[in-house]
Amino acid sequence: MVKKINRFMNFVRWPEFGALLGFLSIFLLFSIISTNFLSLVNFSAVFTVAAELGIISIGINYLVISGEFDLSVGAIFAVTPMVLALLVNTGISPYIAFIISLFCALLIGFLNGLITLRARIPSFVTTLGMMMFWRGILLAVSKGFPISYSSNNKVLLNILNSRVLFSGMGVRMSSFWYLIIAVIFSIILVRTRYGNWVFATGGSKEVAKAMGINIERVKMINFLISSLLAGFAGCVSLARFNIVDPTLGSGLELEALSAVVIGGTFLSGGYGSIIGTFIGALLIGMVRSGLVLAGAPAYWYTAFIGIILIISVAINAKIRSMVLGE
Amino acid sequence: MFSKEKSKNIFLIILITVLLTMVIFTLSAVAGEAEKDLNFYVVSHGGPADPFWGVVIKGVNDAAKQFNVKATYLGPEKFSIQKMVDLLESAIAGKPDGIVATIVNFEALDEPLRRAIKQGIPVITINTSDPRPAAEKIPYLCFIGSDEYLMGVYSARRMLEAFKPNKPKRAVIAIHEPGWAGAEVRARGMKDVYDEAGVPSEKLDTTVDPTKSYEILRSYFQKYPDTEAINTVGPMSAHPAIKFLEEEKLTNKVKMGAEDLTTIIVDAIKRGTCEFTIVQQQYLQGYLAVEFLSLYNRYGLCPVESVITGPSIVDKNNVDLVVKMVEQGYQ
Repeated sequence: MVKKINRFMNFVRWPEFGALLGFLSIFLLFSIISTNFLSLVNFSAVFTVAAELGIISIGINYLVISGEFDLSVGAIFAVTPMVLALLVNTGISPYIAFIISLFCALLIGFLNGLITLRARIPSFVTTLGMMMFWRGILLAVSKGFPISYSSNNKVLLNILNSRVLFSGMGVRMSSFWYLIIAVIFSIILVRTRYGNWVFATGGSKEVAKAMGINIERVKMINFLISSLLAGFAGCVSLARFNIVDPTLGSGLELEALSAVVIGGTFLSGGYGSIIGTFIGALLIGMVRSGLVLAGAPAYWYTAFIGIILIISVAINAKIRSMVLGE
Repeated sequence: MFSKEKSKNIFLIILITVLLTMVIFTLSAVAGEAEKDLNFYVVSHGGPADPFWGVVIKGVNDAAKQFNVKATYLGPEKFSIQKMVDLLESAIAGKPDGIVATIVNFEALDEPLRRAIKQGIPVITINTSDPRPAAEKIPYLCFIGSDEYLMGVYSARRMLEAFKPNKPKRAVIAIHEPGWAGAEVRARGMKDVYDEAGVPSEKLDTTVDPTKSYEILRSYFQKYPDTEAINTVGPMSAHPAIKFLEEEKLTNKVKMGAEDLTTIIVDAIKRGTCEFTIVQQQYLQGYLAVEFLSLYNRYGLCPVESVITGPSIVDKNNVDLVVKMVEQGYQ
């Protein structure tokens, strides 16, 4: 009996346990109440939504674990494809434009890091200000109109986000990018020295410093990761819609933070999981589609997600305290 | 009172109870529809917070009752083409008997709607149509709505009429949702008329937040005190403008034109603060869409091309006729 409990506790110890539990319960719920929930079409729809949100969330996750925030990811999500579309529309090769636009995303991340770390302003404030700044730039440049990607060369867009399997209902490339990014960044976090440094930086600054970790460099790299992934996700989104409108990604920063938190990462830093975030973003995507298929009126959605967010944090905290015996 | 441990547990139990209540509520709303033989989704760019779409939703619900079908309205909480398309994807996954959609941006909506049509789901568009020529545009069954460009043109013309034989020194076009194609097309209609008449005019982003809207208007009028005309493109830009003109006591100096109808706009017309409003009878857009999809599914019947529901002008002369209907949510 004791052996069985110990084995169960091994699962509970996973940082992803809470997220998995939540995901399975809600999956079960929607399977019962929503028509056509258990269908390939629906799963691809859920994955499509979750992929764009999830890629951003994975980027933010590194920052949160190391003790910082990035509220500008929604704006970067829109600015990067805007740069891509504008460059391509002037005739530059899509691939070069893609590289330049990702570089712009990195630049914004670098600015975020520089201001936060040098001026010692809380990252919450820095990135909030940057978000408003870049949103304003977006509106000013676009003058309110969506910007269209008008090159005939669609290869780049196809690589980023075309439908590939079971054409018509199919899974998009973005789902694969999401999986690949989740696996890579999870491995980096959990199996490399750098991952250790990230945890240490967020867990206890003094201990990390004493161990000889360059905290500022770790955080700066995380700012770059966050903005790069947000920019990449934005380009993936452009590939789906073929346009960038000035409201793109509005509010996405909070949704990404929700996915991170539902996934078991602590906002206080030092603890978290990429796989948990992967599940968290899928959960949010699933709730939206599940509610549509259940015929729920549009008024309920944010309310549902809000409650799920609070419940998952409470459950995660409870599991943590059970595991750590607090 | 309770130990920390117990409080956490009680808190958790309360939260889960709330969640379960919401689920049961949704279930009961859904269960009653189980016997309906047809299921439609109305996917629009307008969210539940916009009073304009409240009238469309009423049209949808009334028609659903009348024709004994299930029709669910889906719209993002804040204007977002991305979220609207996500909702559309989920709607398509639900294999409905028909989809009603607004073509807020034809590029973003092209692929999902074509896919839905290919899968045999009939599609009707309302409110904002695909502006491309027949060979290129999405092959929906028909369009129900108003001509947005004409709405802008009527709006500016009626405003100029109010100033005859003079002209307003300056006109401002308040837009609460820049990027929404409908607003931009209406604004273009207005600007074209003003340009032709030689009246300087400018677009202003007033946002969907009423407090911000008020302050933006105040700053604008401080910068351009010679502005004599405000044109708004919807209730979310009109309501703050009405408040602004009355509180700043500008109603004698500045004339205001609105688009669409709400009780606030109607009252403002009666009081004289608002000169006129341009209506598009959006109740019909919701109602007729559900009706046409029901008839199409059951008997294969559907009107073709466009069913035009507007523009028409409501001002002091005919406002009393519409007052009651606005209160009841039909206009």
